[in-house]
Amino acid sequence: MAKAMQSNQEEQIVVFQLAEQVYGIDINSVYEIIRMESITKIPRAPHFVEGVINLRGRIIPVIDLSVRFGLGQNQRTQASRIIIVEVSGQTIGMIVDSVQEVLRIPVSSIEPPPPVVNGIDAAYLRGIAILEERLIILLDQDKILMEEEKHQLLQANIGGSQT
Amino acid sequence: MFSDLEIGVFIDELEEKIQVINDGLLALERDEGNPDIIQEIFRAAHTIKGSSGIMGYQNMANLTHEMENLFDKIRHGEVHVTSAMVNVLFEALDTLKALKEEVTGDGPAVDTSAVVGKIKEFVEGGAAVEVPVQPAAVPEAPAQRAAADSAPVARRWLEISDVEENVIREAELRGFQCYRVAVDIDRDCQMKNVRAFLVFETLQQVGEIIKCEPAAEDIQEGKYDVGFQVLLITKEDADRIKNLMITISEVTEAEVQPVILSSAESPKTPARAEATPGVRPVTPENNALKQEPGDKKAVKTVRVDVTKLDNLMNLVGELVIDRTRLNRFAEIFESRYGSDDLVEAINEISNHLGQVTGDLQEQIMKARMLPVAQLFNRFPRMVRDTAQKLGKEIDFVVEGKETELDRNVIEVIGDPLIHLIRNAIDHGIESPQERLAAGKPATGTLLLKASYAESHIVITVRDDGRGIDANKIRNKAVEMGFADRETADRMSDREALQLIFKPGFSTKNNEVSDLSGRGVGMDVVNTAIEQINGTVELDTKPGAGTTITIRLPLTLAIIRALMVTLGKQVYAFPLTNVSETIRITDQDIRRIGNNEVIVVRDKILPLARLGRLFNCPDCVEDSKMFVVILGSGDKKIAVVVDKLLGEQEIVIKSLGDYLGQVPGLSGACILGDGKVALIVDVRGLVKDLGAEETAYAAG
Repeated sequence: MAKAMQSNQEEQIVVFQLAEQVYGIDINSVYEIIRMESITKIPRAPHFVEGVINLRGRIIPVIDLSVRFGLGQNQRTQASRIIIVEVSGQTIGMIVDSVQEVLRIPVSSIEPPPPVVNGIDAAYLRGIAILEERLIILLDQDKILMEEEKHQLLQANIGGSQT
Repeated sequence: MFSDLEIGVFIDELEEKIQVINDGLLALERDEGNPDIIQEIFRAAHTIKGSSGIMGYQNMANLTHEMENLFDKIRHGEVHVTSAMVNVLFEALDTLKALKEEVTGDGPAVDTSAVVGKIKEFVEGGAAVEVPVQPAAVPEAPAQRAAADSAPVARRWLEISDVEENVIREAELRGFQCYRVAVDIDRDCQMKNVRAFLVFETLQQVGEIIKCEPAAEDIQEGKYDVGFQVLLITKEDADRIKNLMITISEVTEAEVQPVILSSAESPKTPARAEATPGVRPVTPENNALKQEPGDKKAVKTVRVDVTKLDNLMNLVGELVIDRTRLNRFAEIFESRYGSDDLVEAINEISNHLGQVTGDLQEQIMKARMLPVAQLFNRFPRMVRDTAQKLGKEIDFVVEGKETELDRNVIEVIGDPLIHLIRNAIDHGIESPQERLAAGKPATGTLLLKASYAESHIVITVRDDGRGIDANKIRNKAVEMGFADRETADRMSDREALQLIFKPGFSTKNNEVSDLSGRGVGMDVVNTAIEQINGTVELDTKPGAGTTITIRLPLTLAIIRALMVTLGKQVYAFPLTNVSETIRITDQDIRRIGNNEVIVVRDKILPLARLGRLFNCPDCVEDSKMFVVILGSGDKKIAVVVDKLLGEQEIVIKSLGDYLGQVPGLSGACILGDGKVALIVDVRGLVKDLGAEETAYAAG
């Protein structure tokens, strides 16, 4: 929070790639970024839950963000990473295709999201940062973790798209 | 207001004192005039009164104040203990507990007036001799001391140092008298500093203040609890000072005690005044100094949040994993470079690290343990009440209170134990007449015992009552449709007795008592104990009594488990649920409808292929397979797994809030290589599949 105050009109985001698209997430909610490791599958868990990992003695659930957003599963590569986020007391890992950089973006560059971006419901987005030559979709990390949203998303995926 | 920490300390103390009073009352009932017990209860009530007063819990302070008064009368022989009185005192104790819950926010607001009134009746009933209020200045003969003790001096008077003593002596030579003056200000007073200023002003008009407690600056800033004390040198007499004090508004109480110096100094009877009508004199505390060490039972403890311990445990877990890795490296080095000094050194370090982490793990586990006394102490009272209600005479013996258990275990076993003890009193132990007729002593014995046995804690509830007749159970089972006549007759006594663990089974004929016998007893006990990987055993001899033995793991966090594989993943079955492992082939599998079953020793068990159940893609299905027989309650199922890995101690971890309850799993654990293994929820699995078993048995 202190950092946010300091930079005043700027905020720091972790920029990552998911299915050919660039996303950003507030750095304050990122606990750490780790390489892909062996993930223990959880039988009968929602399909976007990849499994659990051992993060230094803690059991952390890991979700596949791309499956989560209904974008289909991507190939795991050397570049694949797990972003560990900590939001409202819960810690989860999100698999992304690659992590690119940490970026400072001016708050003024953030535009509200259109209703659907790349097939992702705007409810999960905080906005879109428009920088000189690129667009970064900003995720609302609180929404990703919400239990209710999880079910809604499940429904949405089963029923095709949300109305 | 007070911080959570302060309230926490207060609650801790309160709980301890409530327990002291509880134990004291129980003892008092047996040993009516015991002055030590009376003194103990008196002190406990006094302590609660003091601290609750400071914390501003007026109802609690009033209630304990009355209790204290009553015990003061009792200890001076002015009132005698009667069973009616003990009942009222127990009622007061319950009210006190309710008040505690009110404070912690677990209970509603409590009305104390009824019980306070009842206690007052006892106090006044015996209050033939009013506490004498003597002229203060009269020196007192040793003979009067006893009377003086009973006079109201609830406070610890401030100490007089050598310097002050000299001042006082000088003043006395000049015809002055020194008094200790204690002033209590209304708790709700808004301007404590102003009141204090007025008191000082008034006193300085009649004499000289040579000392005050707390310090003068603090008092004048209003930084005192309910009151303060001063040493006053004056020519006025005690009554006059007292009158001056209580005319100041919001002064609720003033006490003036002359200071008598030298060896002749003995506690004086203070003149006192009460500005608040209805509040009875505070009882004396002539042994205030003696009480101090007793209160602070020098156990050096700190309060630690359990989550901190959990974090510590996690860190140790990481250490263990690193050690395993180090071990592996040592092996690699050894194979690569042979056994040279460096390799030896690495091995040594790795071994030592292993020992230390092992010890560390054990110590942290121990830190989570609490003596079972916490729980057991609740029972004597319950036994007393229950026995009284049912007209039974019971000698309740508690052993092994000091046995330590994981705090979570203690929380879980509370209700089951209440069930068992109530059952024992209600159904087990006979009425005195019946016992005498059967040639037993009229008083039944109920034993509650905790002890260690290997890596388990064993809790025993034993009564010497009428026992359980297996035939009665058989009949009842047939009557209630749990088994047909033939099956019931074929059952061994032991098997028949197992029936009482069935949900809905009750031996009592329709007569539902207030206390037990609703037919929800034993299966609830069984379920609760099983939930924490414990077992319940029942042993009974008709006419001689019943023993129920509960075996519990030392801790909930570590269990022994059977490790198996399904595909590439490792799963753990809590060993308490595993009854055996067998190998079968395709030919052994039968079908009933769409379900697969196997027959093990004449018993039909539903068979589950865990690989299919868990949608495990890389599971191999061979014609030969490993089967684990799992049991929960009286139900058993057979589960096909890929491979058996063996037994291992595992540290149970939750899957976290995000995943919540995953069907079929009860948690996860971390393996030596850092990978995560999942723990199978055997209870759930058996419940899902075992339902069919009953259908086969019937069909």
